[in-house]
Amino acid sequence: MCGMLSVIFVILIFGFLFVESFTFLKNFGIFRFITGKHWFPASNPPSFGILPLIIGSILITFGACIIAIPISIMSALFISEIAPENLRDFLKFLIELMAAIPSVIIGFIGMIILVPFIKKTFNLSTGLTAFSGSIVLAFMSMPTMISISEDAIHSVPWKYKEGAIALGATKWQTIRKVVLKAAMPGIIAAIMLGIGRIIGETMAVMMVTGNASNIPKTIFVPVRTMTATIAAEMGETVRGSMHYRSLFAIGLILFLITFIINLIADLFLRKIRR
Amino acid sequence: MVEKIIVENLNCYYNKNCILDSLNFSILKNEILNIIGPANSGKTTFLRTLNRMNDYNTYYSRNGNIYLDKLNIFNMSVEKLRRRIGMLFAMPIPLPMSIYENIVFAPKCLGLIFEKSKQDYIVECVLKAVFLWNEVKDRLNKSAMEISGGQQQRLCIARILAINPEIILFDEPCSGLDPISTAKVEETIIELKKKYTIVFVTNNVKQASRIGDRTAFFLMGKIIEINKTEEFFISPKQKKTADYISGRFG
Ligand SMILES: Nc1ncnc2c1ncn2[C@@H]1O[C@H](COP(=O)(O)OP(=O)(O)OP(=O)(O)O)[C@@H](O)[C@H]1O
Ligand SMILES: [Mg+2]
Repeated sequence: MCGMLSVIFVILIFGFLFVESFTFLKNFGIFRFITGKHWFPASNPPSFGILPLIIGSILITFGACIIAIPISIMSALFISEIAPENLRDFLKFLIELMAAIPSVIIGFIGMIILVPFIKKTFNLSTGLTAFSGSIVLAFMSMPTMISISEDAIHSVPWKYKEGAIALGATKWQTIRKVVLKAAMPGIIAAIMLGIGRIIGETMAVMMVTGNASNIPKTIFVPVRTMTATIAAEMGETVRGSMHYRSLFAIGLILFLITFIINLIADLFLRKIRR
Repeated sequence: MVEKIIVENLNCYYNKNCILDSLNFSILKNEILNIIGPANSGKTTFLRTLNRMNDYNTYYSRNGNIYLDKLNIFNMSVEKLRRRIGMLFAMPIPLPMSIYENIVFAPKCLGLIFEKSKQDYIVECVLKAVFLWNEVKDRLNKSAMEISGGQQQRLCIARILAINPEIILFDEPCSGLDPISTAKVEETIIELKKKYTIVFVTNNVKQASRIGDRTAFFLMGKIIEINKTEEFFISPKQKKTADYISGRFG
């Protein structure tokens, strides 16, 4: 029943986005829309190329993953396997607290502390860069990734560890070859949820990335993401205009990307379970 | 007879409760020593003390010494000790990986084998030694969770053989098995005696009389009697032993 309901919702959302953006995609052309290098929706004639936005999103997401995934897995391992009991409770509490911080606040902290810091450290003209976005997003996705991986690691039956240790494996070998392996489906689920949060995040990213819709050549330049574009421009558009509809088309693309990521995650999880 | 293990004034405690009470005895090379006794008499605790699996339990403490070939096991590295003293638990614990990987896991961890051909060879040898080869040779890469309980238990024995220990501890290895699987496991254990020293804990008095060279009777953390299995069952010296093996208590 619940499953049916969520399927219906997904179809409805997709249908809504599709209907709203259909005339735009038909007139402008899907291919031109996705591969266009320039996003100048207000100039004359307007140009609706979202390639810079897609690359911006991917770059920031990728950067955030590289930072967040290893740290999260190691933290989860530390919390459930190494930390003594009272420290573990304290850390879990801390992580729940972190998860509860609204993204605007993280963005704000990023803006006043991280951005100037990056500007100074890397000697850049501005600290509003893709790199800053990745760090902020990594920070935001880590609580999810850590707490869910920690659950997965913690629920590996004690007898597996005992079985491995009794065979002469060291604690570290046991963790690496048995615990991590057994917990892998859960860890992957945690990572995918974290990535979901990273891709969908809007406010914090808008505050620290500079929002320049150029195709970035390095991670140390300002970029703009798809979510930020929708959030920033929706208020300025005329309802029903080309620009308005193009934002829905971005929404549609975002929806498809998240859908595909979830699908891959799901396939992967199933393969591992078997 | 060579003394393989000497237990000297061993006391073990959980939360300061005395679980093993001044044990003094030895285990001979290439013998099967049965340990029998009612529930909670400390049999498992003794085995877990022997390969130091209880070192991780913060409620556990002990004093006294155990010597393996004259060396104090409490001064050895635990990994080296467990390589020499393998332990089989009451319930089969296959690791969450394939049958093949279950066997090569420990040798790889211990840095004993690396080449694939050597691994294949060892897998085949140890599976044959536990009479499991014919049953699983076509699905070595399937998950070890997918075979029956009795097969899992024999796989766990095979896994221990792969590290080629000197002593193997069996903790009621048949308690979860049906009679046919039990017979197979027993057969395996008797076969192993040629190469290994075996400590065999069981709740089943009949099983003990079938298997071991000597039998020790544990009661409330003390050894009541230890003797040649035949004499032990035919003419027990202690009244408590006689009562226990005739099923009058415990
Ligand atoms: N991890 C533990 N923490 C605290 N007490 C324990 C622990 N393990 C065992 N004990 C206690 O130690 C005593 C001996 O237990 P042990 O498991 O050695 O008995 P056993 O002879 O193996 O019994 P069984 O035949 O039921 O397996 C019991 O009273 C038990 O309650
Ligand atoms: Mg026991």
